[in-house]
Amino acid sequence: MSFTDPRLMAESLSRAVAAHVDEFVVSVDIVDSVMVKYANGEISVTQSWRDYVVGAYMTKGGRISMSTYTTSDPGEAIKATIPLIDKLAPSPFHAPLPQPGGSPLSSVDSKIREASLSGDPGGIVEEVDVRGHGNVAGMILLKYSRNHYIGSNGLDMGYEVTKFNGYFRVFKGEESGQWAWVSTAYEPRLALKSLEKAWELASLCYSLPKVKVESGKYRVLLSPMVAGNLLEDVASAASAGSAIMGLSFLQGRKPGDVIASEKLTLKEVPRAENMPGLRGFDDEGVATRDKSIIERGVFKGFIHNTKTARLMNAESTGNAGWLMPRLFNLEVDPGTLEEGELLEVLGNGIYATNNWYTRFQNYLEGSFSTVTRDALIVVENGKPSGCYRRARLTGTLPKLIESVEELSRERWPIEWWEVSIPTLLPHMLVSEMGVTAATSPS
Amino acid sequence: MIGFHELLKHVESTLAAGSSYGEARFHSTRGLTFLFLNGSLIGASTSDVTGVAFRAVYSGGLGFASTSDLSSESLREAAFRAVASAKASSLVLKRGVAMSPSPLGSARYSVVEAKPLEDVSVEDKMRIVGEMIKSVDLKKDPMRVTNYMVVYSETIEYKVVVNSEGVRVESRIPRVSIFYNISASSGERRANRWNSLAASGGLEVLDKVKFTEEFQDDVNSLYINLVKAADPPKGRMDVVLAPEIVGLAMHESVGHPSEADRVLGREAAQAGLSYRSEYRDEYIGSPKVTVYDDPTIPGSYGFYLYDDEGVPAKRRTLIDKGRLAELLHNRETAAVYGVESNASARSTNYRSEPIVRMANTYMAPGDYSFEELVEDVKEGVYLRKYMEWNIDDYRWVARYVGLEAYMIRNGRLEEPVRNVVLEANTREFLSSVDAVGRDLQFTAGTCGKGEPPQPMPVWMGGPHIRLRGVVVG
Repeated sequence: MSFTDPRLMAESLSRAVAAHVDEFVVSVDIVDSVMVKYANGEISVTQSWRDYVVGAYMTKGGRISMSTYTTSDPGEAIKATIPLIDKLAPSPFHAPLPQPGGSPLSSVDSKIREASLSGDPGGIVEEVDVRGHGNVAGMILLKYSRNHYIGSNGLDMGYEVTKFNGYFRVFKGEESGQWAWVSTAYEPRLALKSLEKAWELASLCYSLPKVKVESGKYRVLLSPMVAGNLLEDVASAASAGSAIMGLSFLQGRKPGDVIASEKLTLKEVPRAENMPGLRGFDDEGVATRDKSIIERGVFKGFIHNTKTARLMNAESTGNAGWLMPRLFNLEVDPGTLEEGELLEVLGNGIYATNNWYTRFQNYLEGSFSTVTRDALIVVENGKPSGCYRRARLTGTLPKLIESVEELSRERWPIEWWEVSIPTLLPHMLVSEMGVTAATSPS
Repeated sequence: MIGFHELLKHVESTLAAGSSYGEARFHSTRGLTFLFLNGSLIGASTSDVTGVAFRAVYSGGLGFASTSDLSSESLREAAFRAVASAKASSLVLKRGVAMSPSPLGSARYSVVEAKPLEDVSVEDKMRIVGEMIKSVDLKKDPMRVTNYMVVYSETIEYKVVVNSEGVRVESRIPRVSIFYNISASSGERRANRWNSLAASGGLEVLDKVKFTEEFQDDVNSLYINLVKAADPPKGRMDVVLAPEIVGLAMHESVGHPSEADRVLGREAAQAGLSYRSEYRDEYIGSPKVTVYDDPTIPGSYGFYLYDDEGVPAKRRTLIDKGRLAELLHNRETAAVYGVESNASARSTNYRSEPIVRMANTYMAPGDYSFEELVEDVKEGVYLRKYMEWNIDDYRWVARYVGLEAYMIRNGRLEEPVRNVVLEANTREFLSSVDAVGRDLQFTAGTCGKGEPPQPMPVWMGGPHIRLRGVVVG
């Protein structure tokens, strides 16, 4: 079988399964990517990948099986898997595959495609020259995917998308700043802007006195890095899969319920052309659509595929995953203030620029704790007055979204370790979060 | 499958292209997963993640390339890309990369399965797991279990590693894991507990990890938290920690910061830094504290006998009687320190470069019984299970929130208390250990690190221990 054309491969594999099952979808992804990793101001490794990924969704008599292969001979692998379905029990999740709709959306940048195919990062290392910024760590990823889906429901669509993504962490003395970006286009300015932002934050804390933060409740300005991490958890809680599995604080909520500040509008935007989660149709073939999860504080409904929609008496929102719904891209509406104005509105409080290790004490109540990293800036009278190194932010997701006071005008496209879904969002000022001051780091 | 001979041919091509080091790894992981929700089978999935990874060093630059296309042409092209990547890396270099002289292996090994995964039918596996789930008593009035999810997974990982310095290692490691989450409520209170039970081996792992007993015990813990427990104490007091929390603390506060690549800053933008860049061979804990990382524990989830650079595995001492000792090294970091690798190079799959990872990290047992640990506490807390934890990226300030905990008064366990928070820096935590139990136990985890992220099977372990005078809040 040829792997040069994903449609030909998908067609060939679909013929192999069609006679043995009631329904199927076969997907073929050919993915080329190259990544440059930095540490201590030098390149630590350059990596490139060529992946041929075959997925198969099959049902028979209400039984569901799924397969994923990266193998040279997916035909043999699929044939070996087909008998599994006869051994399963009918699934309470099963719903017939829907009629496909929509049309493919693609976004390909030729520079990213060429670099990805060759495994050569090309000029990006020179265009985003980290030298001169001291101790820099981070990565730059260039990725080109082409895909095709064929299903027993008539689904026969493919798309291509490129991705330009990365982040930098810059150290100055013992202080650091970190920032990320993501796009479908080759935009070195985004990487340079992230490098500058990380440098700016590290330099700011380097110049400010080190202060002790007392544990307590604070007004907190969350950078897009931090807000992106926490709002991704809000969006995930709006997945019907999370609600059905008992992992959502939104369980029991209905469309129309007021759940957040009217300042907050959180959208799922699979059709945003500059975001690499771009999709014109979902994994079941349903047309995607941009939609609000929260619109001016009002819950607009759960995210569904046909399975969760059947279980919750709703309609698919074009967010299939074969078993559970999935999120493609997220976006938060901007506010009206410049970032400097947000600091003035904050007055006295904390500006958290990065975080990691968000953990939930209780998914059902959305109670979380997350650890700040990099610049944690104390703000007094609207001006940065000092820095602290590590603290915990604690709260609950319901209270977090209720307490959104203001948002910045400028938005940043973020994806990194702690923001796994491409998200375009502003700075976000919240009126109250718990801040636990860590014991002195040394 | 790709054998030694074919891989070596391509390693030689990396040398011919000017590399000073070449390496190839055929890496195949086949898996089967069942998902149960509220006792019903939702679906099953299979996976086959197979491909070949190459690494090359060229003028101090390190390159990595992989492909899932096993044709000879594609392998040749991937080997070439590894060299090209190494050349690209060499453009922005200060120190560059070298591979330390280290003992290198030539061996074949396989984990022996008492009940081989390939000999048990899918129907039997589903039936066994399904019956185990059904045997759990979920009725605990007035608590209600609102949802429970169980994921059974088995994998067989097969690797062939060769390099330009004589490594020839072939391995086969089967693993079985059960992950579950239980959500429960009582009145207005709601809570959830997740757990992961796993080991290397065949289907006998299901019995070894005591899935049914663990699941039942977690239902009971939720009941205690939601129905029986009182508000938590606050202040400085003695704390007895159960093995589940000790193991996690050793992994997070001792194992991760002992990874030499983290100490050297190679993970600075991802998994973060380490206090061991500041503290070298000094005392950080009480003399009661000795911490090991050992890949060679038979049946462990993090088991291996040779790492992914072909270095023979051995036990590593991370803290020796309170004093910081070895770092975990692959050959790249060992070269910086001028030492031999201690076989810590692991890669998740063919898409992953071998980086420094833990295997099975644990605090060495002492000689106290649980009763002896408790009887000497005038007022304190026994923390048996956690529901949440996190730690800063310097690995200094960790926090654990208890799911199940009890007050200790005058040497006796008394009423349960909910959501006890233990927060301490690493030195405070390790220095406050005054007694160590003899009941070493392990729990399974999936460790995260790297870019792209590389989830890695590990065990974390320890006995019950006693901390004197730490802050509980």
